[in-house]
Amino acid sequence: MNYPVWEVPIIGGAWVIGIIAIFHVMISQFAVGGGLYLAMAERKALKEGHRDWLPVIKQHSKFFLLLTAIFGTVSGVGIWFAIGLVQPEATSTLIHNFVFGWAIEWVFFLIELTSAAVYYYTWDRIPEKLHLKVGWVYAISSVCTLVIINGILTFMLTPGSTWLGIVGSGHESAYFWNAFFNPTYWPSLFLRVLVCTSLAGVWALVSFSRLDEEAYGEARTRMVKWSATWLAPSFILTPVFFAWYILMVPQENKHLLELGMSTIGSGAFTQVTRLGLVSIITTATISGVVYFFAFKYPKDFTFGHAVSIVFLALCATASTEYAREAVRKPYVIGSHMYSNSVRVSEIPAFNKNGYLTTSMWRPNGLDATPVAVGQIVFRGQCMSCHTLDGYRSMRRFLADRDEKAIGNILKMLREHKEDSPYRAYMPPLVGSDEEVAALQAYLMSLKSAGTPQGLAMK
Amino acid sequence: MSKIVDFMEERLPLTELAAFAKKKTVPLHRYAFWYYWGGISLLCFIVQVFTGILLLVYFKPGPDAYDSVRQITYDIHFGWLIRSAHAWSATLFLLSAFIHMFSVYFMKGYRKPRELGWWSGITLLLLGLLFGFSGYLLPMDELSFFATRVGLAIPDAIPVVGHAISNILRGGLEVSEITVQRFFALHVVVLPLLYLPIIGFHLYLVQLHGNALPPSEEEKPAIDRKSIAFFPNFVIKDLGMWLITLNVIALLASLFPQQLGKVADPLASAPAGIHPEWYFMSQFSTLKIVGKLIPGGLGEAAGITLFIVGLLLWILIPFYDVKKKGGLIAKRATYFGIFVVVVMLVTTILGYTAI
Repeated sequence: MNYPVWEVPIIGGAWVIGIIAIFHVMISQFAVGGGLYLAMAERKALKEGHRDWLPVIKQHSKFFLLLTAIFGTVSGVGIWFAIGLVQPEATSTLIHNFVFGWAIEWVFFLIELTSAAVYYYTWDRIPEKLHLKVGWVYAISSVCTLVIINGILTFMLTPGSTWLGIVGSGHESAYFWNAFFNPTYWPSLFLRVLVCTSLAGVWALVSFSRLDEEAYGEARTRMVKWSATWLAPSFILTPVFFAWYILMVPQENKHLLELGMSTIGSGAFTQVTRLGLVSIITTATISGVVYFFAFKYPKDFTFGHAVSIVFLALCATASTEYAREAVRKPYVIGSHMYSNSVRVSEIPAFNKNGYLTTSMWRPNGLDATPVAVGQIVFRGQCMSCHTLDGYRSMRRFLADRDEKAIGNILKMLREHKEDSPYRAYMPPLVGSDEEVAALQAYLMSLKSAGTPQGLAMK
Repeated sequence: MSKIVDFMEERLPLTELAAFAKKKTVPLHRYAFWYYWGGISLLCFIVQVFTGILLLVYFKPGPDAYDSVRQITYDIHFGWLIRSAHAWSATLFLLSAFIHMFSVYFMKGYRKPRELGWWSGITLLLLGLLFGFSGYLLPMDELSFFATRVGLAIPDAIPVVGHAISNILRGGLEVSEITVQRFFALHVVVLPLLYLPIIGFHLYLVQLHGNALPPSEEEKPAIDRKSIAFFPNFVIKDLGMWLITLNVIALLASLFPQQLGKVADPLASAPAGIHPEWYFMSQFSTLKIVGKLIPGGLGEAAGITLFIVGLLLWILIPFYDVKKKGGLIAKRATYFGIFVVVVMLVTTILGYTAI
């Protein structure tokens, strides 16, 4: 525990990251797909002589610029704030491993944002061919941002055996490419590209369905139909790449997915499966709605239809990203660091010498009552997933359990045996016997009083 | 392919059907949104048939009821999902049927020549409520057991024949595995046998008479009324609604799966806050309120008589509100409808706050 702990009531820290990230993914993936869309649409309009498309594309590029350059960037920075506060250890690992990756990512961001602005403000001001080239600069630089960030995101689920073999040796950065092109890199990249082009189509539908039927007539119908075809690649290829992705996910993570098929148990056991189902049904519905409403009957396609599709796309993005995060349980960096920032390699020392021995946040002297010590252990090891009264509430969990039952659960979590039902999604409990006893005392104090005794009073 | 079409055409009135579908239109106006709710409840019913058959594969009525539902929920692959979809779709089925009924009522869709549609529709809704009531007991967990025990207080309060009816339903004086067996027979054999022909008749009537126009549209000269073709335009929109409904059911079933409580123990005391499902809440809480005003058996009888009278008035409304230009009578019928909605909502809310 080298960093302070950020306590977020009710929703918990993980959801702070989650809410910002889902919003960001929705926009940034549109930014990648939308760049390709703008360039391809402009090219098609110039090549096939659809001059009436150009003002429509210009209008769409304004909306695009506003959405990606403002909301996309703000939410992107928001993720950094959130992960830095909620998961400082993991964030530090990512920064140290991927210094070069982050640097190049920001170079691409700069090119992307600049070219987006240049693209919009030079409509009708520079030669058409040059303008199209600016569009391609934007499209390529934004695809590059995905190519880079995808390596870091997939690393967190599957760091790969080479990196796991040398981690802690101080030579991690020498194995940058092994960590970057990790087992799930390629299937994930292809899946995300498909999502990006689909989102480009979805947002284009929003833009074009708002066009006035009288004024644009034929152009509106043709652009709605053409935008609908942007979802076609993902209708066909998503199942293939998804199967590839699942194949590369380690068995222990896949176990979480299988758990939810046979049982609902208590909520947490089966979240991944249930979210997966939501993702499948919403994606399938988007396919159906886009095909029938936008592709088959583009003339009757309304703004209301388009907004419904965006809403479905938001549901699909949210559930997929949530499931992807949840499937990594119990780790934040696969097989290396648990979701409560405890490194696998640190466990023997923690169990031998105590979890708080090297911590900067341990109560001293008279303050070190068992409840106060237990609260610190709780904040370090439990609070990254549990809240007191809201999401995965501890008080609700403890309500119908007595001291013995709580002791048994802590024992089970500490032993972390192969057949333990918690093993699939919870880290082991680490620390000395006194610390575990202190945690138990703190949990009991949660049951009895609204405000726990100890440090919370200060 | 064309040979198959020819074969069919010689033996079935396909050409007439196609001509009918081509000619048929659906009115388009500001209240047209309410036309979709009958279709939504139909979809929910279809989902019920489909998921119900799947549950039937593993469900065992009688003494093994709880254990077989436990197996469906915790052991069988996606059993929990099918069960949750069945439960959520039941709720949406009744909800959309209620909305459909009230929208027909306020659009005066029960007037000549659509009286038979009105009556068959009410019959379908009442059967739907029985479906819900009989299905709710089948898992035989603590909640369904005590809720059924409480819910049987409603037929029990019917004067003269009430005790006999509830005893026949229960198969004795107490809710037991015999009750599960009876409710099961009712739920999967008796009710579907009654329901399917009536729903066929109901749909036939809709095709025969077309969609009813609300009075505000009827006043307009025919040339000002807008309509869209039934096929493909309305069908596409209807299918769109079905898709939305299917998504809602899937989302609810995945995110809020149906839980299974402890096994029912008739000797244990009822857990706190036992109450019937939401679609019986209004009746349940009216009985309680009337019971408080008039204590004893008389109060119960008064409460149940109140519903029966109300239901009769509701059924007979096509005889009262007859004329196209109804004036005061038409207004009174509308006020009665508003009164019924308000009473149902208020008693339901009171029922939930009293828990």
